[in-house]
Amino acid sequence: MESSMDKRLKKRYAADRRFRIYGLSAVAISLLFLSLLFISIIGKGYTAFQQTSVLLDVYIDPEMLDPEGTGDRALLSSADFGALIKQAMRKAFPEVTARRDKRALYRLLSSGAEFELRNQVLAHPEQIGTERSIWVPADGSVDMLMKGAISRDTAESDRPLKDKQLVWIDALSSQNRLKKKFNTTFFTAGDSRDPELAGIWGALVGSILTLFVTLLLSFPIGVAAALYLEQFAPRNRWTDLIEVNINNLAAVPSIVFGLLGLAVFINFFGFPRSAPLVGGLVLSLMTLPTIIIAGRAALKSVSPSIYEAALGVGASPMQAVMHHVLPMAMPGIMTGTIIGMARALGETAPLLMIGMVAFIVDIPGSILDSSTVLPVQIFLWADSPERGFMERTSAAIMVLLLFLIIMNASAVILRKHFERHR
Amino acid sequence: MEEIQADIPFTSRYSMTQQRFTGKNAVRFDQIEEQEIRETVGEIRLENPRLSCHDVNVFYGDKQAIRGINLDIGHNEVIAMIGPSGCGKSTFLRCFNRMNDTISNCRVTGKIMMDGQDINGTVIDPVALRVRVGMVFQKPNPFPKSIWENVAYGPRIHGLAQTKDGIHEIVVKSLQQAGLWDEVKDRLHQPGLGLSGGQQQRLCIARTIAVNPEVILMDEPCSALDPIATGKIEELIDTLRKNYSICIVTHSMHQASRISDRTAYFHLGHLVEVGETKTVFLNPLHPLTEDYVTGRFG
Ligand SMILES: Nc1ncnc2c1ncn2[C@@H]1O[C@H](COP(=O)(O)OP(=O)(O)O)[C@@H](O)[C@H]1O
Ligand SMILES: [Mg+2]
Repeated sequence: MESSMDKRLKKRYAADRRFRIYGLSAVAISLLFLSLLFISIIGKGYTAFQQTSVLLDVYIDPEMLDPEGTGDRALLSSADFGALIKQAMRKAFPEVTARRDKRALYRLLSSGAEFELRNQVLAHPEQIGTERSIWVPADGSVDMLMKGAISRDTAESDRPLKDKQLVWIDALSSQNRLKKKFNTTFFTAGDSRDPELAGIWGALVGSILTLFVTLLLSFPIGVAAALYLEQFAPRNRWTDLIEVNINNLAAVPSIVFGLLGLAVFINFFGFPRSAPLVGGLVLSLMTLPTIIIAGRAALKSVSPSIYEAALGVGASPMQAVMHHVLPMAMPGIMTGTIIGMARALGETAPLLMIGMVAFIVDIPGSILDSSTVLPVQIFLWADSPERGFMERTSAAIMVLLLFLIIMNASAVILRKHFERHR
Repeated sequence: MEEIQADIPFTSRYSMTQQRFTGKNAVRFDQIEEQEIRETVGEIRLENPRLSCHDVNVFYGDKQAIRGINLDIGHNEVIAMIGPSGCGKSTFLRCFNRMNDTISNCRVTGKIMMDGQDINGTVIDPVALRVRVGMVFQKPNPFPKSIWENVAYGPRIHGLAQTKDGIHEIVVKSLQQAGLWDEVKDRLHQPGLGLSGGQQQRLCIARTIAVNPEVILMDEPCSALDPIATGKIEELIDTLRKNYSICIVTHSMHQASRISDRTAYFHLGHLVEVGETKTVFLNPLHPLTEDYVTGRFG
């Protein structure tokens, strides 16, 4: 008797242990995949935060910029700084004389070099007439070579950098004129055809504006709808129909919302294409069902005794809901909202339909300006053939993830705040 | 010995009742009772009542939960409502502050007069009515806020005081009346949910009296409490009867006999008997009441 009892007990403990091991290994596997993902993204992307620059001694020639010495800024900003850069390059390599070689030499620098010089001169006009050493961005291919993404061992014809160029690069390098510096451009610029000039800031601002519109629309409307449906609406066929349809909407593929947005907001209402306003509207449609469903669940989970207590001391149904039920449901509603917003942040397909996939260099200044968003920017860069865009794709993913983490963290903080004030 | 002798006829009747409820050819319970209970036994009318019910019926959808009840509730009296569970005590109690309005399929007919006006009429707004007829629920349900906020909420939404000091005065007075002041005066701004069950229930009573009601409804206020906390609430009810009319639903007959002036016995939606508490417990007029108070039924 006793031994059979013992056996059963032992079996039970063994089952317990097995179950715990299954759980632990499930957690471990998911953590493993997550860290693999992070490692691969960070490993591919961290190099994008550095950018190769060339130290160039430029004689800021007044003859070429401002021959009359007027000091006129408009004249100055339209002057040919590219010529100054080329002059400096020729001076650094006096032995290069053939036209073709010269062109190959100039190609070592990014087309952004002249903008760098222009900005500096416009900021310090007193430097005109002096010789200055300034760091200018190197071309993307030089950058790739420095980062080891282009091998010197490949045949010359398969390489973007020819043997001669390699010699010049080595010369610059030996004079300490070639250095990897922190890539501020990546965080301050919009998109560009040249990887070394492309930045994430335009897409980030576009994402922030779009999400702002989304939140501004979907949160109040979603909460109001959830409140009405849960607390005030009569239970009948119509409300059942509405409930079923809200659940259906939550499951509609997002591209459908994009098509709807294109037809209604752009073609019918005539809102500007590619604008965060339209993107926000489309994403609101997509986020609303999520917020309504989460909101209703949160409201339902508030004990009805609180509602009754408020009515019992003479609060109107509206007061009972606004003063007691809604504040108690707030943390749950916010969780739903943040899930919806996180989904909206990562959404690409519907935004392609409304033109947010366009190539946009300028940083959007308002919700009516053309812009793109982070996931679309990632999509665009991932599709670009240049090697330099590959690392930028991973870096942009990192920025997107960081944005997501900040959003979630602020939601957690807000939740804690609400919970403390119960 | 004599007592047992006296009980014999009832016992046999009781076993007959039992038979009616079981077995294949059982007659429907409510049909039988319908014929047995026609009129309420006892004194249902009072001189100068505070609340007066005339032929009150309550339906949940098609199901009738309260059947034609007539009853007066006087000034400064404690009336206990007893009866087996499911007989409609809570439902009846909730008629007085129109809490049944919040249940979607619930319908109330008949008249309940208060100061010459029908509370189900159009003149009285249910929200205003609930200020005059307060309610304490079965499970203590303080708001998830501070003790002070719990009591201050009612006076504030009704504008009973203009300044924060005025509100504070009401809070202090109500907590004192509810006999909770000494226990919480140092922790007014701590959450009400941090109190013990009995304290929470007294906080709910303080919250109710803070808006100056005339009648307080209590639906089994002690059923979730231990005996000591129950004793405190009973003491409190005894002091409150000076200022309020109190209707209390209780499943404890001891409690009813300790605290109430009159007792009403409910059975399957009928008011079977009402009268002086002593009479109802010692010399019940109706056999169903007798079965219940002697502990043979329900
Ligand atoms: N919300 C409701 N919907 C339908 N039936 C109800 C509802 N509340 C109570 N009832 C029914 O009404 C009858 C009386 O209930 P109740 O007043 O709660 O009884 P008591 O408080 O005496 O135990 C019971 O039969 C119960 O099933
Ligand atoms: Mg009840």
